[in-house]
Parts: sequence; structure tokens; C-alpha cells
Amino acid sequence: MIQETKIGLARLGKIDPENINDAIALGAYDGLKIALSLNPDEILVRYESSGLRGRGGAGFPTGLKQKFTSQSCAECQKYVVCNADEGEPGTFKDRTIMQNDPHLLIEGMLIAAYTIGASKGFIYIRGEYNLSIHRIRKAIADASSNGFLGSNILGSDFSFELELRLGAGSYLCGEELTLLESLEGKRGYPRIKPPFPAEKGLWGNPTLINNVETFVQLPAILINGLDWYTALGTSESKGTKIFTISGRVNRPGFYEVEMGTTLRQLIEVLAGGMKDGYSFAGALLGGAAGTFVDASLLDTPMAYETLKAIGATMGSGAIIVLDNTTDKIDFLQNILEFFKHESCGKCVPCRIGTTLLSEMASQLKTNPEILQKMIDEASYMARTSLCPLGQSPVLPLKSFERYFATAITNV
Amino acid sequence: MTKLVHIEIDGLSVEAPEGANLLQVARNNGIDIPGLCYHRKLTPTGACRLCVVKIDGQQGLSMSCSLTVKDGMKVISFDEEIEENRRRTLDYLLAEHNEESDNTFSDEMAVLVNRYGLDKKENRRFGSLLQNLNAPIDSSSPVLTYDASKCIKCFRCIKACAEVQGKNILSFADRGISKYIVAGYGVWRESECDGCGECIQLCPTGAIVEKQHRNTIQLDKIEKKVITTCPYCGVGCQLELLIQDGKIVRSNGVEGVLPNDGRLCVKGRFGYEYAESKSRLTTPLIRKNGEFVESSWDEALELIANKFNEIKLRDGKNALAGYSSAKCSNEDNYLFQKFIRLAFENNNVDYCTRLCHASTVTAMLKAMGDGAGSNSIQDFETTDCLFVIGNNIIETHPVTATYIKRGHNRGQKIIVVDPRWTPLVKYADIWLQPKLGTDVALLNGLMHIIIREGWIDKNFIEERIERGFEAFDELKAVTDGYSPEETEKITSVPQDKLFEAARIYANAPTAMIATGMGMSQQTVGTNNVFSLLNMCFITGQIGRERCGINPPRGQNNVQGATDVGASPINYPGYIPVINDENRRRMSALWNVEYEKLDPKPGLTTIEIMQAIHHGSVKALYIMGENPVVTDPNQNHTIEALENIEFLVVQDVFPTETSKYAHVVLPASSLFEKDGTVANSDRRVLRLRKAVEMPGQAREDWKIILDIAEKMGVNIGSYANAEDIFTEIAQATLIFGGIDYSRIDHEGIQWPCPDKNHPGTATLFLDKFNTPTGRAKLHPVEYINQKERASEKYPFIMNSGRILNQFHSATLSRKNEALNVYGNESYVLIHPDDAAKLSIKDGLRVVVESVRGQLETAARVVDEVAPGELFMPWHFSESPVNALTRDELDPMSKIAPFKYSAVNIRVK
Repeated sequence: MIQETKIGLARLGKIDPENINDAIALGAYDGLKIALSLNPDEILVRYESSGLRGRGGAGFPTGLKQKFTSQSCAECQKYVVCNADEGEPGTFKDRTIMQNDPHLLIEGMLIAAYTIGASKGFIYIRGEYNLSIHRIRKAIADASSNGFLGSNILGSDFSFELELRLGAGSYLCGEELTLLESLEGKRGYPRIKPPFPAEKGLWGNPTLINNVETFVQLPAILINGLDWYTALGTSESKGTKIFTISGRVNRPGFYEVEMGTTLRQLIEVLAGGMKDGYSFAGALLGGAAGTFVDASLLDTPMAYETLKAIGATMGSGAIIVLDNTTDKIDFLQNILEFFKHESCGKCVPCRIGTTLLSEMASQLKTNPEILQKMIDEASYMARTSLCPLGQSPVLPLKSFERYFATAITNV
Repeated sequence: MTKLVHIEIDGLSVEAPEGANLLQVARNNGIDIPGLCYHRKLTPTGACRLCVVKIDGQQGLSMSCSLTVKDGMKVISFDEEIEENRRRTLDYLLAEHNEESDNTFSDEMAVLVNRYGLDKKENRRFGSLLQNLNAPIDSSSPVLTYDASKCIKCFRCIKACAEVQGKNILSFADRGISKYIVAGYGVWRESECDGCGECIQLCPTGAIVEKQHRNTIQLDKIEKKVITTCPYCGVGCQLELLIQDGKIVRSNGVEGVLPNDGRLCVKGRFGYEYAESKSRLTTPLIRKNGEFVESSWDEALELIANKFNEIKLRDGKNALAGYSSAKCSNEDNYLFQKFIRLAFENNNVDYCTRLCHASTVTAMLKAMGDGAGSNSIQDFETTDCLFVIGNNIIETHPVTATYIKRGHNRGQKIIVVDPRWTPLVKYADIWLQPKLGTDVALLNGLMHIIIREGWIDKNFIEERIERGFEAFDELKAVTDGYSPEETEKITSVPQDKLFEAARIYANAPTAMIATGMGMSQQTVGTNNVFSLLNMCFITGQIGRERCGINPPRGQNNVQGATDVGASPINYPGYIPVINDENRRRMSALWNVEYEKLDPKPGLTTIEIMQAIHHGSVKALYIMGENPVVTDPNQNHTIEALENIEFLVVQDVFPTETSKYAHVVLPASSLFEKDGTVANSDRRVLRLRKAVEMPGQAREDWKIILDIAEKMGVNIGSYANAEDIFTEIAQATLIFGGIDYSRIDHEGIQWPCPDKNHPGTATLFLDKFNTPTGRAKLHPVEYINQKERASEKYPFIMNSGRILNQFHSATLSRKNEALNVYGNESYVLIHPDDAAKLSIKDGLRVVVESVRGQLETAARVVDEVAPGELFMPWHFSESPVNALTRDELDPMSKIAPFKYSAVNIRVK
């Protein structure tokens, strides 16, 4: 019987999220205390060896990112930025964490800041997340008055200021370089990469930017040790991951499980299987910038390497379940309309390509052959677009063709 | 020096500075990688995706505009795959693009469309999406139109406005395929856009086009393009004029050439229409029985020569005088002063520099031996600290100001000292607002703090100041009396601000000063600048690169006119007329008897007018000046001109002054003649004839020669302007190495003593130009003004200029495009004062001084301090100089345009 394994959601339901003493009683800031007793270089080694990878979607090794930022420009002001602009459709893991255990995020950011030598941090949060905003704001105030934020934290030489900044509804601002532009008070346009944030991030200074879920993995690694952590998950995907399941399943919602849990275990066991009268027809993994799978792939372990092997992505951990009544073409059209709507318009392939794809999608039902052309255009967009948004439509399109080609011809 | 590295592009080995932009390097080497969003002057954008290349060792495609070169880099910029991607990108762009062209703009996109065979519709893969897009047109700007359907969203206009001009007015509204450019909050006319047109110049597709000549210009009918110098302020911007049917139809900035590197302001871009104005003078006019009657050149010249000779014979040579002109070329001015010295045989030649920077130049000559700006215009960007005093530089020298705004963007500290808010305050780290006329006290107060805090430069004082610490101690004895408390009492500037300004200026690694009319146009103008120089010297903020003092010049050849000798005290090249050796040198060069050259310094501008009043000067020859508007105490000026026996005015338009002339001669505008000018950073720049003169108008230098000939005086013979310049270079040592061929592409900064000398970017690096080679301190005490606010005249009137008008407005007001931005006189009054006097915004008011009065409209704003007023002086119907006085600064003979006691009341 599959069970949840909780790191990010460990205190969920056990504390009043607005009461710091509740959180402290259940171990909040214990990881920070351990960190402060260690040399930052020692911590860097631990996170590198932990195998932790970024939970924002790309799965970049977290320890390596910390190391790059730590080693970049010794005399520069460094920043830690939390990407809490959760915008990928079907995704609500960060919201769940922030609403239920805001101090865990603050603790994770504090440890990261201490590790890389940053004295200033920002949480860039989705502006519609009212409850999360309220709770994070309160948590920052409480953490400050309890000596976890500010100068000489817990009597150490380490000082750290944390600010909450609100996004204004742009999907693209969840892209890390665009997020930094927005944080600087500019319009949310993607930056040219390189330089990467580790070298030149916020206001041109070395910046560590991670997803909420990545930060919250950090304290447990110090508290419970490397052996404990590396035993969780698969060979190349360590620790836990929160999946958010939507669609016509019996218990839609969020589930934190060990990496490597199969899609079938998630849907059939944890989410309680399909609702009466509906059958599983496939899923979109990772949100709009994600990939489709069909029933033949239900036993795929949800880990970076195993998903990659079948041409799928982990992405944000969103699992949108399609059923026998889902109009797959409408579904695809909806995704492409979303890209068109969210394209910032800065680069030509994305600005015009997303419009062209959306137009072509409206012909899919009458002209199935156009799917090939759409993939061809999306591939060109992936080759030439400036940022991940324009590079993404090819993912759902190619996997759609692979698994649902019959949906078109059967219209 | 940047390291040079080797890279390979398509097998071609290329050398380039490390870190240079790859796309630029490729293009510099003749590899024509396409691209629409990239521009040399802008940061890379990466929007158009046309400049894709492959880099050896990297996956996929990269944008060459976004890469810098590294040693050993191997680049493929052309292969089938790359070209196919480019063709597809263009094909995409075409889907949202309106390709229509009215042949009035150069279309970089159309060139690429042809190059990739997409001009053939059958090669395109998509139909147009345009009909589904909301592509608005904004034609509300007075000078330009934006059409979103022609816009490729390349960001070039946005960055032109933000990065090049520092204005940050343009941005995108909406997003994705629906986005379009907006100015300010969405309506161009209501935005802060001041019409510089940098966005027009950098637009690759004609989405932003100028309105001027929109219905006449046809690019295939352009006869020629002429590069010349802008006729307005002293920045000396290089213009490229497009000529069609013998008329100027467009003005662009010349890219890649100093001083402006393509940038212009609204005047340079749109202010060329005056040349073809219907009101130009086209024939000589002689006043007969009180009326002007058209005459032949012969008759007019004959009359002038006879009168000049007659008066000279009857009343002596000192009864003649001339006003030369900062609006004329070096060649015109050189011949004019030669004419005065040889035909009038005196030194009574001066021009309006007397009324702008005479005090600055006087102080600088005494303290440093040179009266010109010590730095290059582009140094305004790179210096660490800029101290701007009495200078509304954003409006008066808009293109110099673009360098300042760029400096500000990279962290330059800016200190503004001005009794009135100016637009530069928006960019300033600190603004000191002293009471009018208290500059010496303010500067002594700053030095007091600098000395007290030990922020002086001891090495500089010992090694580069005459008498070192002995002189310093004398200065300290004076500044000791200006404690912060005392300084605040006099100037009303708070002590903490004084401290901050002193700290920032004195401790900046490099610092430059820009000083303006606010300092110079006072009865203590020379003292003001002495005090400023004292501060500059004791902090050692001069004598190094990006350090120094600069008086930006108001008209395009103020600098050059004095350089080539339009001065009552100096021959060309600043050599005094009283010096015997100098007279011998000039007499040899001019091939005249040494005795013919008058050793006595001549009269200055205002002194000439006063002498006319007294009856000692009986004839005045004015070339391109308008003293009725520009001189102080207008009623006094008019009285003088009404009573003068013989007045000749040579100009391009009838002016307020030419009304009083006996003979009016039609001259050439700067668009109509060859020649040179010298700008504010001593750069000698070419003027080139672009269009023909109207009617019988003649070049100024030819008219001078004609008059001399009729008078029977030989002042030389010249076939063209270049001949004159050759003589100028012989006469003027600082111009010695300059000739037309050397400045054909880009001007050279004097001193340039010989043909191998590259010119001088920064003055005083090794030594000052004084006999000892050291700078001199001139301690000065603050003196209270003689004229003070009184019960009858309780306000102090300040005056100045605005961006879109120029000088006495004889030229600028002939341009519709400039007038739209402001063509009416006004007076600024503080809301508290206005409330007391029941003056409401927009109300007509009368302003009067003991000397005269005028009528204008009130603008109630807190840009001025209570008790002080401000008026722009361009508008002759509300002549500020009816209020000003002709009490002069004893050393420089400048008049106090910035300080008149007045009363203001509702009309």
C-alpha cells in the first residue's frame, strides 16, 4: 500500500499556520540552528551530495546552483529569491506549503542564504494567493520578532532580511529571469541568457533563485541527515515531490510522495481512482508546458530520469487527468490559447507562433493533417524563441501526436 | 586597452576586442548577418531572432546580437539551416506586418524580405493576421505618427528613448501579438515627449515617421544628402540633410560621429524650415523717408561705404563699431573682425558672447589662461560627479544632457545648483536652491566645509596652484567667514544640503562642472566664476581626464567667433591687441602697416550701445545680431538706435533691430554656406551648403568683402570659405593644424597646433595656460546686489531659455514644429505669492521695473522660490529686457540679466 512521505507538508494539519510557537514546537528552525553551527562550505557539500534537484520544473541540481552562486563575485551583495509565482495550470503545491507551513519556507531560505552568503532575500508570490500572502507576511513578522530574521540571527554573525513581493498575474513572471525583471520593478520581459542568475541576477548581482518546494526540502536534509534523505526516491531523483492531481478522480488534491512513485499509484490509490462512470484516458503532466501520457504509461515511476526516458516531463508536478468524455482537441486548443494569451510578445517566433498555433488548432477538427504542420512550427519556435514559453508548445503538441493522433482522425 | 582576440566566422579569421558584440564584429568584417532589433547604440534585445548563428561547442542556435566574442570562438553564420530559420522568422513577421510603403522612409525589413525571396507571395506560408489585430495609429504628436500595423515590436524606439536620450517615455501597451507602442500613458501629445525624434531615426520599418514633409518627401527623388552642423545651440550636432527639389525635407543625426553620435533635439531635427520661410530678406533695403525701399546691391553697398568713410573722416575712426555674430561661421567672423580692424581701424568689434559667457571667459582666462570648456561633451557621461550650476542644461543643451542622463543611469552623482527647478533636478542626487544672486556666498560656504573637513587636494595645491599654500591660506582667510550657519543665512540653503554637496563633489574620483548663464549674467559674474574655480582648484577636480569646468555655449558658434578674433581685446587665437609683438605679427600676416592696427582695446557690446547714446559712436554695422531683444534695458537700446546716424543690419530675417536700420542687407542662413564653426568642446566642425540662398541674398563673408572693396580697403581676396579658413589657421595658432580635409569626417578639438596633432580632448592635463603654467586662486567676497527688492518692486526677476525656442527666436519661431511645443511668453510665480496678489494660473499680468514694463501670462508653480519670478526671454512681444538693467560687471562688462527688481500685478 502506497503512502505519502512528507517533508514539505510534514506539519500540515498539525499546527496553526499563523502561530510560530506551534511550528517551533514541531521543529521549525531546527535545521537553521544546525546550519548555523556548520561552515557554509560543509553545508554546500551536503546539498551537493543530497541529489536534491530543483522542483520548479527543470530539475537542475540544487547544490550545484548554490555552489555557483556562492563562488560568484566574493565582494558582491548576494540575493536569495524564492519563486512563489505558481502559475502553471493545474499546479497548487507551493500554495499548499505556504498556506500550511510558512515558516518552513522561511527556514529553507535562511539556510540557503547562509550557505551562499546572502544577506537579503525576496519571496515573489503570485498576487492572487491571498491566504498565502497573509500567512507569509505574518510569518515574516513573527520570525523577525523571534530573532530568526534580521541582524545577528540567533546570536550568530549571520544577518538576513526577507521581503515579500507580489506578482501581478503574468504567467511569464514565473520564468526566473522574467521574475527578476519584475522584481526590479520593470515590465516582465525575459532576459537574454547567459548570464545566469548565479552570475548576474537581481540588479546584476549573484542571485540564488529556487522554487518554494525546493527550499522546503533543505531543513530536513540537515536535520535527518544525508543517509536518510538519499534513501528516499530513485537513483537520480532524491527526496519527495508534491503532485497535484485534478480531473475526474475521486480525491483530487495534493499528495507528497517519494520520487519514483508511479502514476498509477498516485491516481488509483492516493486519488482514489476515476469517478464512477468515467475511465482514464490519459493525463497532462507538468502543466501547459508539459507532456501528455496515455494509459499505457500508468506504471511509469514519477522520477526525472524515468519520465525523460519516455519523452515526458516532471514539470511542476501537475497531473491533469483526462477521461473518456474529455474532448482532447478542445483540450489542446485550450493549452495553445493559453500560450497565445500569456506570450509577452518580445520575440518574433513566440509572439506570432503562438498566434499561428492557436489559429491552426481551430482547424484541427476539419483538417487533421495540420497537426504535423503545427509540430513543425512549434519545433521551429523551440529552436529560436528567447525564453521557455515559446520553447514549450512543442511539448504538449508532440506528445499529443504520439498518444492521441487517433483523436483527430476519429472526429 | 582591451585585449584583442581571434575568432573564426564562416572560416574567416577575424580579430576583435575581447567582449565586443559578435553581431557587430561580424558586420564590421563585411559579414552581413541580418537583424532588425539590434542597433549599434542600444543594448542587445534578442527580440527579432534573425541574427541566429551556430557556435562551435554549443547546442542549437544562438543569437549573435546577444553574444560577446571570446578567443578561439568558431561561428557559423550562414548555412542552409540557419538561413531557413531566418526565412521563417521573416515569414512570421510578415504575417503581422503592414508592408505598405509611401516611399518616405527607409525600410530595413523590406530589404530583408527581398533578400529572402519573400517579396514573392507564393513563398510565404501564412496569410495576414492583420485584419484580426487591433493595430492603432497615434497621430497626436505634433511631430510624428505611430502606426502599429507597420511596427515589428523591435524595442528600438523604446531603447532609443530610454538608453540614448535618457527620457524613458515609450513602452508597450498590451502584450503578445496585440502589443503596440505608447508614449506616456497612451496619448503621444499628452506624454512628456519633447519631439527629439530619436525614435524616428532608429525605427527600422517606418512605424514611427515624422509629420514634416510627409506629403512631399519621396526617397527616390532625393537629390543629395548634405552633412553639416546644426545652426542652433553650441553642442554642434552633426546633421544629415536630405535635399529634394532644392529644399531640405529631412534632418537626421549623423551616426557614429562626435559630438552627437546621431542624437538630436527637436530643434536640430525639425527646426530647419526657417531657411525657406516666406519672410526671409531677399533683397537689400534702404530706408528712404522713413520707409524701407528695395534697392540693388550696388546702391546699398555704395551708400554704406560712403557713409562709413564719411563718418570716419568727419568724426574719427572711433565713431565706427560693429557687432559680429555667434550665428555666423568662423570665416564670416574672421573677416568681420579683420574688416573692423582694417577698414574701421579700431577694435570696436564684439558680439553677444559679451552677454552670455564674458564673465566666465574673463575669470577662466585669468585663472587658467584658457576660456573654453576643459572637457569633451562625451565626458559628461563618464565623469563620476557632475556639478551643474546656473545651467538649465536639459533645455539649453539637450544633446549634452543625453550624455548626463546616461551617466546618471550608470550611477553618476549629480549636484544641481539653481534658484529655480529645472528638469535636471529629476535626475539629481541633490538640489541646492540658493536665493538669486548669492552664488559667491554659496560657493565660499561649500569651500568652508571642504577645508574644514580636510577634503582638499594637497598635492594639487602645492604643485599646480601659483604660490601653493600661501595662496590657499589667503583663500581660506576669506572662506573662514562663510560658516554653514552664515551661508544658510545668506543663501537660504540648509546646512545639511551644503555639507552633502561639498562631500560629494570634493570626494568624487572625478568631477566636472557645467556652469551657465545663472552664474555669468550678473554684475558679479566674474567673481561667481572665480569662486567656482577656487572650489575646483582646491579639490583638484581639474587637470585630469573627466575633470574640469565647462561653460556650454548657447549658440552654434559662440566659441568659434571669439576663437577667430571677434573680440575688442584679442586677435584671433586669444592674443591681446595691446601687445606690440602681436600687432606686428598680425600686420605681417595681413600685409598692412603696423601703425594701422589700433593698440587700444575696443568697446564691448553694451559699451558700444552706451557710446551711441553719448554720441561718440555714430555708425554701427550689425551682422546677425538682434540687440533690441538681446541687450539689457531695452528702452535704452531703442533710444540709442533711434538716434544713431547710420545703422547697417545684415541678417536673414527682418528683426526687431532691423526696424531701426538705414540699410538692411539680406544674408545667408547656415544651411546656405560653406564654412566652419567651433562648438562647446572646442571642436572645429564643418558647415556645408545644402540649399541655395533666396533671392539676392549673399553669404555674409562676401558682403563684408563687398563693403570693404567699396570703401577702398583691401582686406584680402578669397575665392571661397576654404581660402578664408586657410588664413584663419595661419592667424590662429590653436587652429594651426586644422584644414577642411582633416575635419571632413569628424571635427577636431583645438588646440591643434600642427598637421600631425590629433587635437586636444581635455585641457590642462600637464599645465595651465598661464605664464607660470599654474592655476591662480582669486579669493572673492560675497557682495550684496546694488539693485534690491523694494516696496515698489518687491520681486526679483530671473530669465532664461526653453527647449523649443532659441535665442531671440528670429530663427526658431519660423518653424511650425517648434512653435507647437510653446510659442507664448509666461512668467513663473510661486503659489504663495500668487495667492497674495490674487494671480491665477493663465491670467494676464503686467510686470514692471524702474526701466520698463511688459505684459505676459502667469504660470503659478512652485518651480520658483517665493519672492522670485522667472520668464523665458525669447518672445519679443513680452521683452524681458525691457526690465533688465545695463549696470555692468566691472571686469567682463556683462549685464545682470538674471537679477531685476520688479513688480507684478494683474492686468
